[in-house]
Amino acid sequence: MLNFKKIGLMGLVTVFLLVSSFLVVYGAEKPIKLGFFAPITGPAAADGESCLQAAQLAIKLLNEGGGINGTQVELVYYDDAFSPPQAVIIAQKLTTKDGVVAVVSGSYSHTTRASAETYQNAKIPMISAYGVHPDITRTGDYIFRQSFVGAVQGRAAAEVATKLLGGKTISVIYVNNDFGNELSKSFIEYAEKKGVKILSVDSFSLGEKEFTPVLTKIKQENPDILFMVAYAGEGAQIILQADAIGLKCQKLGTEGVDSTMQFLKVAGKKADGLIITTNLNRDSERPEVQNFIKAFTAEYGYAPDMVGASVFDAFTVLGYVMKNYGTSPEEIKNGIYKVKNFPAVTGIIKGYNELGEVTKTVQVQKVVNGEFHYFSEITDLEIVAPPTL
Amino acid sequence: MLLQQIINGIVVGSVYSLTAMGATLVYSILRILDIANAGAYALGAYVGLFSYVATDNLLLSFLIGMIAMGIWGIFVQKFLYLPLLGKSPLISLITSIGLFIFLGDFIRLWAGPQIKDFPADLKLPFSGIKTENLTIMSVWILVLLTTAILLLTLWYLITKTKIGLAWRATAQDLEIAKAMGINVNVVVAFNFFLGYSFAAAAGIMIGIMYNFISPTMGDVPAYKMLAIIVLGGLGNPVGAVVAAMLIGLIETLVGGYIGFFLPRDSIAFIAVIIILLIKPQGLFVRKNI
Repeated sequence: MLNFKKIGLMGLVTVFLLVSSFLVVYGAEKPIKLGFFAPITGPAAADGESCLQAAQLAIKLLNEGGGINGTQVELVYYDDAFSPPQAVIIAQKLTTKDGVVAVVSGSYSHTTRASAETYQNAKIPMISAYGVHPDITRTGDYIFRQSFVGAVQGRAAAEVATKLLGGKTISVIYVNNDFGNELSKSFIEYAEKKGVKILSVDSFSLGEKEFTPVLTKIKQENPDILFMVAYAGEGAQIILQADAIGLKCQKLGTEGVDSTMQFLKVAGKKADGLIITTNLNRDSERPEVQNFIKAFTAEYGYAPDMVGASVFDAFTVLGYVMKNYGTSPEEIKNGIYKVKNFPAVTGIIKGYNELGEVTKTVQVQKVVNGEFHYFSEITDLEIVAPPTL
Repeated sequence: MLLQQIINGIVVGSVYSLTAMGATLVYSILRILDIANAGAYALGAYVGLFSYVATDNLLLSFLIGMIAMGIWGIFVQKFLYLPLLGKSPLISLITSIGLFIFLGDFIRLWAGPQIKDFPADLKLPFSGIKTENLTIMSVWILVLLTTAILLLTLWYLITKTKIGLAWRATAQDLEIAKAMGINVNVVVAFNFFLGYSFAAAAGIMIGIMYNFISPTMGDVPAYKMLAIIVLGGLGNPVGAVVAAMLIGLIETLVGGYIGFFLPRDSIAFIAVIIILLIKPQGLFVRKNI
């Protein structure tokens, strides 16, 4: 009995070895591996899923278009579970074991920031799709950012509040994490410089659902504008509860609520009139935007949001760079710095500065009839130019 | 404004009291901190939502959600907690945390990670009150009414019925109650049925109130109900209700008048620390301990 088992096992091993050596010798050319991580489980699982779907779509389209000069691309992805330690373990795995040539982070600031150093040390380029914390790109020359650093969007939102909406008094409410802190800080700084009076600043923790107490207080302050730095779940509650208690002032949001499923579906008609800063202009007539929206909706059955679009762009940029400048990590890194006026879904990428920060215009969208539509665009270089330090 | 904030606080407190009641009941009998109760809260909300979509009847969806979770509770105690009863309470605690994490991810795989919401045209049989300075939303009335009805039912069950008498005896001392001929297994099962159906009711109410149901909706209740249970004197149902109202009011008033200088959730724990410093046995002591 034991012998049979042994023989069987040996037979299996032999077959496995034969097959794998056959694959090595006769198999297709080895695919180029790209790494990816996102919070597919945990409190940001909805964003994680949207990002993963966008990543898979990008790779699929890349391969259908002939891959990288004939070589197919393979996506190696992991779930960081919204946890920085997990993101670091993934970074070690991607850089040492999986043999990826570049990585895209479809995750939030805290996880991306924690793992950035591992990529830098391994000299594997990493593009953060939508993390806003300035320290991410400060890690080193192999780390890039595909969306606005917090300060850019904060300034842009302040520009919208003061110039486009003419607000004189503003109340601020923000989510207490990297995203909320960075955006609200730069918003307040810039708005105060423009002579706006900030009436109150309140923070809340991720996952908060009860805003009536603080909104009741803000209602007493009677501001021209309520600026909220929130994600979709909390943002929808702020909109709904503000409506319930009759806080009627203009609401201004950020890319955090740029989500069809998470935000618009929950807030419904009550979100009409809300203005947000983001990087996705859904009304753009450029084919990149319309094709992406069409392909994503057809593939997954719902309209894409900005996190998905940002991830998609990060992969498109990698594809472009690999086709033109080579597929080694070093060539990819150098290639990204050479990107100029690249038409991406989230706007024309003017380029990446020495810090690895992207330069592109900030989109201002307004909710009309339960949908995001073009309201304005911030192009002023003084506002949208990312920091170099 | 003060009146408005007090009403806000009472509504928040009602929800807390229902949420914490399930775990309080479990603790009172088995002395187990039942984190998985917050899993029933999330799962119950989903069952309630899906039955509302299927039946278009709010009362029926409450009942389906509560009964389904009640039965789930009986399963949990029978196959999970009872076998661990003689062991260290830490083992049951870790088990319940494990079950809680499992439930969150089970829901995510089953229903998807996206936020789900109740249909916008949810019909309530009464309307809210809205004046310039005071708003009482119709869903708040629903929350207050449901909480009142459920808590009164619980009070009646515990104090006026035979099974309630058995429940009180078992809560005082499980071994002695068994020796006195009480069918402890039935009492424990009944206890879990109540505890889990209360969690489901709380989950469905939160889902309606915030129009927000997600796989991780149990995360905050999972630890906040801990504060309420401790404050309420570990397993005292009346104490839990008072503690929940108190925390609801403190959170609301601090948030409304001083501002969210800290995350709101931390306020509950600061309140617990202060009160425990003054009165280490909690606000309401169980007489038998």
